[in-house]
Amino acid sequence: MTSIGTGYDLSVSTYSPDGRVFQVEYAQKAVDNSGTAVGLRVKDGVVLAVEKIKHSRLLVPHANRRIMTASKHIGVATAGWISDTRHLVKRVRDEARDYRSTYKVEIPAKIIAERMGMYAQAYTLYSAVRPFGVSTIIGTVDADGPQLYMIEPSGQYVGYRGCAAGKGKQVAKTEIEKLNLDQMTAREAIKEAARIIYAAHDDSKDKLFELELSWVCAESNGLHVHVPQDLFDEAIQHAERSLNDDDDDDEMEGDDE
Amino acid sequence: MAPLVEPSAGFKFDNVKRNQLLGDKGYKLPTATKTGTTIVGLIFKDGLVLGADTRATAGPIVADKNCEKIHYLAPNMYCCGAGTAADTEFTTNMISSQLALHSLNTGREPRVVTAMTMLKQHLFKYHGHIGAALVLGGYDSTGPHLFTVYPHGSTDKLPYVTMGSGSLAAMSVFESRWRPGMSRDEGVEMVKEAIEAGIFNDLGSGSNVDVCVITKGNVEYLRNYARPNERVEKEQSYRFRKGVTEFYAPRAARRGQDSAEMDTSA
Amino acid sequence: MASLRPGEANLGTTIMAVEFDGGVVVGADSRTTTGAYIANRVTDKLTKVHDLIYCCRSGSAADTQAIADVVKYHLELYAAQHNEPPTVKVAASLFQEICYQNKNNLSAGIIVAGWDARDGASVYEIPLGGSIHRQTFAIGGSGSTYIYGYCDKVFRDGMTKEQCVEFVKNSVSLAMTRDGSSGGVVRLAVITKDNVERIFVPGDMLPEQYLG
Repeated sequence: MTSIGTGYDLSVSTYSPDGRVFQVEYAQKAVDNSGTAVGLRVKDGVVLAVEKIKHSRLLVPHANRRIMTASKHIGVATAGWISDTRHLVKRVRDEARDYRSTYKVEIPAKIIAERMGMYAQAYTLYSAVRPFGVSTIIGTVDADGPQLYMIEPSGQYVGYRGCAAGKGKQVAKTEIEKLNLDQMTAREAIKEAARIIYAAHDDSKDKLFELELSWVCAESNGLHVHVPQDLFDEAIQHAERSLNDDDDDDEMEGDDE
Repeated sequence: MAPLVEPSAGFKFDNVKRNQLLGDKGYKLPTATKTGTTIVGLIFKDGLVLGADTRATAGPIVADKNCEKIHYLAPNMYCCGAGTAADTEFTTNMISSQLALHSLNTGREPRVVTAMTMLKQHLFKYHGHIGAALVLGGYDSTGPHLFTVYPHGSTDKLPYVTMGSGSLAAMSVFESRWRPGMSRDEGVEMVKEAIEAGIFNDLGSGSNVDVCVITKGNVEYLRNYARPNERVEKEQSYRFRKGVTEFYAPRAARRGQDSAEMDTSA
Repeated sequence: MASLRPGEANLGTTIMAVEFDGGVVVGADSRTTTGAYIANRVTDKLTKVHDLIYCCRSGSAADTQAIADVVKYHLELYAAQHNEPPTVKVAASLFQEICYQNKNNLSAGIIVAGWDARDGASVYEIPLGGSIHRQTFAIGGSGSTYIYGYCDKVFRDGMTKEQCVEFVKNSVSLAMTRDGSSGGVVRLAVITKDNVERIFVPGDMLPEQYLG
């Protein structure tokens, strides 16, 4: 943290001499401290998964969802501050509604991603505000098929076949890269997403967590919904099983080292 | 109390309420000066000609016998106005000012469609309450253009147009004689005849013919191009002989003397 | 629904649009009136709002021109933002929203027709109240009342481009001779995937019909 004490990290309206805006980078740090979120775009749909870290056993299961529905067909999964997330999701909902009332057509993914990117970017310009501590993953199936976008605190937005954010993003990305997403079905992707979240989870740092899984595909009638209970249970079983297998592998690999 | 703030721009509608009140009490409402008018325009080989009569009326009274109805918009653009005189004057003035700023900003000569769009959007906004019926003509980088603009904000683009109460008389001239590719002189002559048709056959139109010829890079504003209603020399003398009118010697009222004699004791 | 104000230019009109496989034919008469006076006898009531989307205007000239200008602006913006041309549905929806939200101040009956890659050829009718109706063919304006029967009798599904052109030309001509507010020439536009072809039928070259 070379920036500390230099004074260039106090405001988003001031660049550092080497052309950085530290507040934006700090916002990215807030994202990196959060539970992992992944999105997979496969041939017939989109799957979103989140590792919701629980700070207490007293929390009601499945309360305070981190994957939210912004429009009938738009799912939003985030890594970062949940309070900022709620604000952003409200914005996604407003944009989707405005678009629908203007054009009588559901908003395409690239338009919602662009508008959310513009919105996030606006919070990197003025000293009176701070950037959002959230990476927003938007998953939807629009007229052109399944779509996946991620918007960063900087306002940068990129379309992905698979993406990850949060503390386990490196592990998750490595795992996603191994998948053959273009051939995969949404049903298969659910299992993979669950497995990746379990693999990215670090038991030594956070004991308690809850998996959230949602999808948009033909089986969900083109709507964004959390996956049905039976598929959810199946996915968790698959995740836990492969985690145990990996542990065995690790032990074997350990021998080699 | 709220301070009285004069709006910096736009129209004031205070008089609408006043007029309503007067109307309700049975008074005759004040009438605007209208230009019961003949205005025309036509396109010829190298440009276009605009024409107008010069009569302004207020009800049955001729308010101005030689008014100007061809208004300046830009160096390459003029606009004939019919309808409410004040509205045509102020509307064209305002658009002219905006066009001047626009061409200063763009560094180009303004286009006729630009003026037409500004006029129609302004008039549409006021739902026809601005009584300006216009014939807009100009020559820009895309050639000569001629439009009519109605008070409600609709526009037409045609090779020859007429407007105002004398438009029917004027149109009869164009419909029977206009053809594509006419010369400048033919165009000016035809416009003169069209306006004269209005002057002679329409009660709302009269006096003289104003003409404006717009070609590439040139404008000829021919004020009173024709004066078909010139007053001629009187054939007889109508002067009165001296001493025919009787009059009494003036008698000064003696003020003050009477009041001094008044009894004011009670 | 606002009625026409005194002195307002009126498109007492006959307008029409027909779908065929691969495109649409739109047509209109050319008469604009102010009261009993024909303000424009060669009006073009077929207004382009995007490359392959046209609208046919009926009602107040001022209102429909203003609406078409607004929609044209929105579609230009749409094309720039989406990096692809708008669909006819989107164009029609924009018209519908404006017509509905301002129904008390407008008199506008509009037919929107065109071609897009998503839905192919389509025709939408937006009558006075601001509702929207997808149709295979639509007629509108004061003159249309005279030709409902004719159109229903003559229209067949699956007509070719040429048959549609004839259908529109005949229908509009018939309406023009029975409706005092319609007349002049017939203007047509054939919109297909690749281009728009404009056809002009002079008033003395209209299809033969009984003229008494």
